[in-house]
Amino acid sequence: MSLFRKYAYPALCWVCIFIAFSCSDDNETEPDDTYVFKEPANFPASTYTFDNNPVTKEGFELGRKLFFDPLLSKDGSVSCNNCHIQGTAFADSQQHPLSVGVDNRLGIRNAPPLTNLAFMQEFFWDGGVTHLDFVAINAIEAEFELDETLENVVKKLNQHEEYPALFEKAFGIDKITSPYMLQSLSQFMVMMVSANSRYDKFVRQEGETLTTEELEGLDLFDAKCSGCHSGALFSDFSYRNNGINDTFIDQGRALISAFEGDIGKFRVPGLRNVALTAPYMHNARFKTLKAVLDHYDEGMVDSPTLDPSFRTGGRLGIELEEDEKEKIIAFLRTLTDREFTTDKRFMNP
Amino acid sequence: MKKIKLLALSALILLFSACDSDDSTDDPQTFGTFEVKFDNVVGSEPMSLEAEGSDNYKYSTASGEAFNLSKFGYYISKIKLAGPNGEAYEDEMNVSANADEVKGYYHVLESETSSQFLNLKNVPAGTYNKITFTVGIAEDGVQEGAAGGVLDPAEGAWFWNWNAGYIGFSMEGGAENSGQERVEGDGWVIPENSFDLHIGGWKEVSPGAGEDQKFVNNVKTITLDFDANIRVAENLEPAAHIVVDALKILDGVNIDFSSTYSVHVPILGQPFADYIPEAFILDHTHQ
Repeated sequence: MSLFRKYAYPALCWVCIFIAFSCSDDNETEPDDTYVFKEPANFPASTYTFDNNPVTKEGFELGRKLFFDPLLSKDGSVSCNNCHIQGTAFADSQQHPLSVGVDNRLGIRNAPPLTNLAFMQEFFWDGGVTHLDFVAINAIEAEFELDETLENVVKKLNQHEEYPALFEKAFGIDKITSPYMLQSLSQFMVMMVSANSRYDKFVRQEGETLTTEELEGLDLFDAKCSGCHSGALFSDFSYRNNGINDTFIDQGRALISAFEGDIGKFRVPGLRNVALTAPYMHNARFKTLKAVLDHYDEGMVDSPTLDPSFRTGGRLGIELEEDEKEKIIAFLRTLTDREFTTDKRFMNP
Repeated sequence: MKKIKLLALSALILLFSACDSDDSTDDPQTFGTFEVKFDNVVGSEPMSLEAEGSDNYKYSTASGEAFNLSKFGYYISKIKLAGPNGEAYEDEMNVSANADEVKGYYHVLESETSSQFLNLKNVPAGTYNKITFTVGIAEDGVQEGAAGGVLDPAEGAWFWNWNAGYIGFSMEGGAENSGQERVEGDGWVIPENSFDLHIGGWKEVSPGAGEDQKFVNNVKTITLDFDANIRVAENLEPAAHIVVDALKILDGVNIDFSSTYSVHVPILGQPFADYIPEAFILDHTHQ
């Protein structure tokens, strides 16, 4: 006991002193939270299973490398980044209204932006995938996207010069398996939080102001659009037919729900960075925001599953004056988050 | 406060008396094993697989549809044993990216004999007379995200990409009468006269008043009574043999392979799934 006192107590003191000093060091330089997932104050709670897959620097960087690597495709020609570009908030480039996969195969839908995925319950235009980890499998194996098997991707990764060591560092594993590859991609994607638009800084009262036109646009938006585009993510994530077709080559939500009443319904998209993500709708029908608002005003086509909210005004659609459209568009532009689209963490190093 | 004390007291009494009654049969501190064996059959015949595309249609349905099987299997999960005196065992369940930490999910394949023997460990010693298990992977197995081992799609797990979830029960083969034409793709072929019956779908959304059913949950939970009371103890090797009869499903839906040969969505699998509980039959137990 006395020996313990003689050596242990001074040792403990040294530990205390060390801790005290290291703490004061931390206070001088901000702790590195580059790879810490943070919920913005004005956002809902995240939905991702972080307990199973906490974000680390190594895991995030590995996910980023995979995201930009065409190794994931059958012939080494297409990466995730082909259809998800940072400059357009990880939507497709405007030159690709529909996704373009290996051998220039044309997809059937417009690639949605990859932002705020950590807050979503369902993915893709039809909501068929219910966990972010499984999103990449769909893109890898779809014939008109990367047209590769998950099995073969894992094989190529295990034979690769760099990947085995990177997976070892990120996950402590000596053989790469698909769940770890999917988890690293998820670590990269959950960090794609876009919450620093002028609008966000305005609502969080961080000193940002909106112009009169933008504020009037916000009021109009609240009155005419927020029934579906609700909440901080500007979507209620329901599935609705917004009158762009009356025949449905792509059945949308009904493909998943097997319910006739869901034919022609697609997910209400969030509107963050919407000024960057043209063209619009699942089938890339409209090239500009003005064309979208014109559609809601006077272009709507009737069909049995058309959303009832478009039938309330004595005519189909949402009545909008020309100057109202301009104001709404001015407001929508305040949702553009240039910090996000220029964030170096998401760039191919 | 008094109530709590009373509750605590009665709990203690219950605990001690429970120990007392167990002492007379088996020591509550000991554990044993229990083996569940799945034996796939086609009616009265043992199941054996043919190569994909084979035209040796050696089986027949009740309505005379000649067919063979090239692939047959299912996922078993959430195994529970129960006994007449309140004995209860629940197989440990866990989903993880680490294959070694995936627990309680079994992919039983006709092509892999070892997969047909499920060895339950740490079963509390006692008497058991029924088994409950789930065929398929329910929501809690899907929604934890990417998983390893028998749930890893790169290592043979049956997974639907576009409607994320696992295929719980699958039969593939050929039928003389199948309407399937030969389809050749980039590196793959669907042989003429083949059939694929993939039964999946786990979403459980009850329709509201006046609403139609959306989604289809084809995950089935089955309880089978044993033919005897089976004792589990350290030195024993008890087992239950469960027969899985493909014909119960094919005859149940009265299959016509000329029109039904490609089932790849939950709603088309539903009629088949409804007969899954009838296909699993307790054949016998070993003490």
